[in-house]
Amino acid sequence: MLSSRERVLKFLNGEKVDRPPVFSGMGNVIKPVLDKYGIVFSRVHRDPELMAKAAAGMYREFGFECAVVPFDLGVEAEALGAKMNFYDEVEGLLYPTVKEKSVEVVEDVKIPEDLANAGRIPVVTGAIKALRKELGDEVAIGTYALGPFTLAGQVKELDALFEESFLEPEKTGKLLAKLSEFIIKLFKIYHDAGADYFTLREMGGTSDVMSPKSFRSLIKPHLVEIIAAMPRPSILHICGDTNSIIKDMAECGADALSVDQKNCITETREKLGSEMIILGNFDPIKVLHKGEAKDVGPAVLESLKGGASAVWPGCDLWPEVPKENMEALVSTLKAA
Amino acid sequence: MKLVQIAGYLGSGKTTLIIALAKMMAGPGLKTAVIVNDAGEVPVDGRVMEEFGLTVKDIGGGCICCQVAGNMIRTLESLAKGPRPDLIFVEPTGMAVPKTIRENVLPGAEKNGIVMGPTIVLLDATRAEKLLTYDTLKRLVSTQLRDADIIALSKADRVTPETLEKTHYAAAQINPAAAVLELSTHSGKGLFELAGAVRERVVAA
Repeated sequence: MLSSRERVLKFLNGEKVDRPPVFSGMGNVIKPVLDKYGIVFSRVHRDPELMAKAAAGMYREFGFECAVVPFDLGVEAEALGAKMNFYDEVEGLLYPTVKEKSVEVVEDVKIPEDLANAGRIPVVTGAIKALRKELGDEVAIGTYALGPFTLAGQVKELDALFEESFLEPEKTGKLLAKLSEFIIKLFKIYHDAGADYFTLREMGGTSDVMSPKSFRSLIKPHLVEIIAAMPRPSILHICGDTNSIIKDMAECGADALSVDQKNCITETREKLGSEMIILGNFDPIKVLHKGEAKDVGPAVLESLKGGASAVWPGCDLWPEVPKENMEALVSTLKAA
Repeated sequence: MKLVQIAGYLGSGKTTLIIALAKMMAGPGLKTAVIVNDAGEVPVDGRVMEEFGLTVKDIGGGCICCQVAGNMIRTLESLAKGPRPDLIFVEPTGMAVPKTIRENVLPGAEKNGIVMGPTIVLLDATRAEKLLTYDTLKRLVSTQLRDADIIALSKADRVTPETLEKTHYAAAQINPAAAVLELSTHSGKGLFELAGAVRERVVAA
C-alpha cells in the first residue's frame, strides 16, 4: 500500500500507481479545517505554524493527499516590495490582495540578497519545514509560485504592463527575464526547505486576454527557462481555455500540465496524446463551493472520463467549501 | 438586487462613469452600491461615495482567478446581508472579460437574490483604433465588447465626428446586438441616455 506521498510522487514521475492521487498544487484550505483548529483566515498567511497546521488539516480531516503552502498569490510580489491588504478588519473570508505595486520599470525589480528571509518567504519555508516535521514521509508537500507574466501583473500596473507588452515588448521581455530569475531562486528556496512538488502558475497568460502569438513570443521562452531550472516534479498551470496553446505549454517541459474548467479536457487529451500527465479540471467555485454534495462526484468524474490523468481543481479552492462537498470529492475519487 | 457591470479596457473611464451613474441613479427608493477593484485608474475615495448614500467595497487582484471571483462573491454576499442595495455597480479590473465575471459570480450570487443586469462596456474613442488593432490588445478588447449589452464610446467629446462615426461602426461590427451610445462624462453627453438604458434593462432583468 502506497503512502499518499509515494502515490503523488510516483504519479508525477510517470510511474504506475494503484490509483490517481486526490490532490492539488494550488491553494487549498477550507473553513471546516480553519474552524476546527480555531485559525483566523487573515492570519494564516503570516504565521508558519498556523499555515502548516491548516495545510496539514486538509489531509488529516479529509484525506486530501497533499499539504500545499502558501494559500494566497501575494508572497512573491511582497518579497519584491509590493504592499498587501490582508483584510484583517473584514468579517468573513477574503483572500489577500496587492494594494500597492512596486515596479514601474525593470530597474525597480530588486531581488533581495537574502531572499530566503524577504517578505513572507520565511513564513512559507517555515511552514514547509513544520509540515515535514509533522507529516514525515506520509504526505506530499506541494508549493507554488506565480509565473513571470502573472507576477509582473502583481508588481506593476496592469495597463502599463499590457500597453508596454505591445509597444515595447523588448522592455516587457527584460522585466519577465528578471522576474524569471527571481522565480527560479524562489523555487530553489522552497525546494531546500523540503517541498516535494512545484507548480508554476502563469494565470495571467490565459488565452482570454493573451493571443497565442503573444504567448509564444512573450511568455513561453521564460516558462521554458524557469521549468528547465526549477526543481522537479514540476507542474505548469495556466488558467482559461488553453487548448489553443496547450502544445506550447507541453513544450515548456514541465512534468505535468494543469488546466482549468474552461478547457474541453477531451480536446486537451487529443492534442497531447496519451503520455502527458494532465491535471484538472473541475470548477472549484461552481462545483465544490456552490454545488450540492450529491452533484460533486458526477461532476469531478467527468474530468477523468474526459482524459485527465488525475482530477484536481481548476484553481484554488475557495475556503468556504462545505465539509460534505469536500468529503464527496475525496471519497468519489478514491473509489474511482 | 441587480448587478450592473461596467467593464472596459484600462483608462476607458470606468470609475468616472460609475461615480456619475451611481450619483445620478441613487435616490429615494433606489439604493445603490459600488464594487471597485484596486486596479482602477482613478483612486476612489470611499467617504466621497458614501456622501451620496453609496456603499463602497474594495476588491483587488490582477487576474480573474478563483481567488478574485471568490472575493467578489463574498463581497456581494455581505451586501446582500447588510445594506441590500437595489442596484450594484461592479467595476472589474480593466483586464476582466465580462462573461468570465458573470460565469464565476452568478452561481453564488443567485442564491442571495442577486440578478445579472446589463453589462456596459466602455470603448475609449480617443484610442479605439489602437485598441482594436494592436495584437496584444485587440483580443481582449474585442472579447469585452462582444460581451456588452451596451457599448459606450467614452471621451466622445475629444474626437472628431468622423472618428466617432468610424468607432461607432467598428463597435457595431464586433457586437451587432449591443446598443452603442456616445458618451462624455466630462460634458455630460449621453449620460442621461445611458442611465435610461440601464434603468430600462434593469427593470427587464
